[in-house]
Amino acid sequence: MQTNYIHIILADDDKDDRLFFTDVFDELKINTKVTTFNDGEELMNYLNKTEAVMPNVLFLDLNMPNKSGIECLIEIKASQKMSEIAIAIYSTSASEEDIEKTFVLGANIYIKKPESFIELKKALSEVVSINWQYHTNSLNKDNFILRLK
Amino acid sequence: MKRRNLFKSLLFLRIVLLVGLFVILLLGGFTYKHISNLTNSTNLVVRNYEVNFELEHINSYLNDVENGHRKYTLTKDTSYLKPYLNARENINDYFIQLNELTKEDAKQQENLRILNKLVDSLFSNFSKTDALVKIDEVNTETFKTLFFKEKIVLDSIRNKIKEIIDIENELFNARQLEYQSNFRFTPFFFYFVLLATLVIIILAFNKINLDLIKIKAKNDQLLIFKESSNQSEIIGKYGNWVWHIDSNIYTYSDNLYRLLGEEPQSFEASYNNFLKLVHPEDVHKFTKGLEKMTDKEELPFINYRIIQKNGLIKYLKSYGKAFYSDNGQKRLLGITSDITEEIENLIKLEERNLELERNNKELAAFNYAASHDLQEPLRKIQTFISRFEEREAYKLSDSGLEYLERIKSAATRMRLLIDDLLQFSISKKPDKELVVSNLNMLFESAKQDVALTIQEKKAQITNDTLPTASVIAFQIQQLFLNLLSNALKYSKNGGVVIIKVKYTMVRARDEHQLRKATNINYHKITFTDNGIGFDQKYAEKIFNLFNRLHNKQDYSGTGVGLSICKKIIENHKGFIFAKGEINVGSVFTVYLPI
Repeated sequence: MQTNYIHIILADDDKDDRLFFTDVFDELKINTKVTTFNDGEELMNYLNKTEAVMPNVLFLDLNMPNKSGIECLIEIKASQKMSEIAIAIYSTSASEEDIEKTFVLGANIYIKKPESFIELKKALSEVVSINWQYHTNSLNKDNFILRLK
Repeated sequence: MKRRNLFKSLLFLRIVLLVGLFVILLLGGFTYKHISNLTNSTNLVVRNYEVNFELEHINSYLNDVENGHRKYTLTKDTSYLKPYLNARENINDYFIQLNELTKEDAKQQENLRILNKLVDSLFSNFSKTDALVKIDEVNTETFKTLFFKEKIVLDSIRNKIKEIIDIENELFNARQLEYQSNFRFTPFFFYFVLLATLVIIILAFNKINLDLIKIKAKNDQLLIFKESSNQSEIIGKYGNWVWHIDSNIYTYSDNLYRLLGEEPQSFEASYNNFLKLVHPEDVHKFTKGLEKMTDKEELPFINYRIIQKNGLIKYLKSYGKAFYSDNGQKRLLGITSDITEEIENLIKLEERNLELERNNKELAAFNYAASHDLQEPLRKIQTFISRFEEREAYKLSDSGLEYLERIKSAATRMRLLIDDLLQFSISKKPDKELVVSNLNMLFESAKQDVALTIQEKKAQITNDTLPTASVIAFQIQQLFLNLLSNALKYSKNGGVVIIKVKYTMVRARDEHQLRKATNINYHKITFTDNGIGFDQKYAEKIFNLFNRLHNKQDYSGTGVGLSICKKIIENHKGFIFAKGEINVGSVFTVYLPI
């Protein structure tokens, strides 16, 4: 399906974070369609539907009730239909353990939730404008974590 | 060496005994010989006497015969012929006896034969003269010849008898002389031999006495050794046992009985009796170990429990090894020690370790809470502040704006604290592996992290080429980062910030600060800045957690950064020192072991 907007999905159990997320895309001058889910289970239920539209980028919080981000990641990478989705881990923690795990499981980028709205805006705009083809081919542990310049 | 001496003295005693026996035999031999010589001499005297006696008898008979014969010639009375008739018979008897007496002497026997012949011719002459007397032809020439012949024969007989007696006497004298000469040396010889024997016996006695003294001293030492071994067994809580493999006999030391909870030597030491005390659950392990002992003549370390008769359970450890005695007898010498206390301490230690592990896990959980759960609300506060500032700030009064600023800086400070605390807790973990890393790369990465501040402050950073070292890479990068940001943070207002990083390789003994060093060589890296410096009296204090030398308004910071540096350096078994001079700058020196 050819569209003229970028389809973005966020799965995050935190209401405030979902709010910041949608606010950022409201303010950004990019044509996007943002869908949010309250937890991993809701997300997977949606994605598993046959009529579901696969997102261009999926932002995945790690610490969620019912189904954690890691579980979602494993399921998505195991599915033929979803395995091509670019996955951005979107988490408060930046523990080495989490970074290592998600990298190995095939996530494309790791974003530590920034402390200000301005930084968040910078981070998200950068992520949605990434050329995933190029980024994935040259992916390593250093450029896996998003660093703002 | 000592044993060799003892062996030598044993040989000496044996030689003395042999020599003594030889001397006694020699003495016996000589005595026998002398006594038999004496007997011989006595026999000789008796024989000499008897020979003389018999010859005298013969002589006297011949005289009788001659007398009778003469009387008959004159008187023609036949009664005078009576001795003559008996004489021949008697003389023959004496000859038989003489023959017997001189049977060993060929010369005398020859003489006797001649004598006998002469007697025979005398008697035949007598017969012839008697016949002439009977027919009264006394004055005939024939008679005269015969009568004269008679005298000659008789003289010959007497000469012969004298000769025999002389020979006999000569022999006797010769024997006597020889005998006397023998006997002259005998007392001297006996005396000498006795003296020699006495000397040997005294020497032997002396030697035995000396050996006895030595043996007594050795016995004393042995007794002391035995007692000290007994005491050390009691104090060291071990006992020893010996298995005489050839005879299958066991001996236990007193303390082994005590370890088993029994009176010393209160039961027979044997495999089966010991097995009775072994904890039922450990019997299999115990017998398996002992089987090896029988096969290989060596008992590997085995741990097992026993149950004493009072019900106490003790942990024992046994070990044994075969050794051979001087006479080639196989024995297995074993040591059994009571390790109950050790085991109990070990169990206690394990409990403590578990507790520690639990505590560590709790700490890790706390770290997670600090890193994640505490960060989340704070992050939201900060984000909402930034949203509020962006959208609503224009509506606020000046004081409202001021309050907002204060809230912002407080939140930022809290963020710093949480981050630093987290960093500090990670630095404490010493279980990271050392990896050979290029310190230049780590330094460059650290520089990248503060690139913005460097740009802002227009800092000039110069550095030597750093070495390659075995380090925990991310920690050393953190160290460089902290030292750099420290230097940037405490810079003087106005003027150019200059940070110099120098590197040299040093020997510990050349550095007066490295008196406690355990390594020989160290990498020495110094960070020198021209910042505000500090009073040297705080040089050690600044590494303490939450220690700050300046107020928060003038200089941001949590007082954790340098504590982290210290922690990291300690993880690497290195050293860090600070040197400061107010308004001149500070020098941080890092030593990493090579």
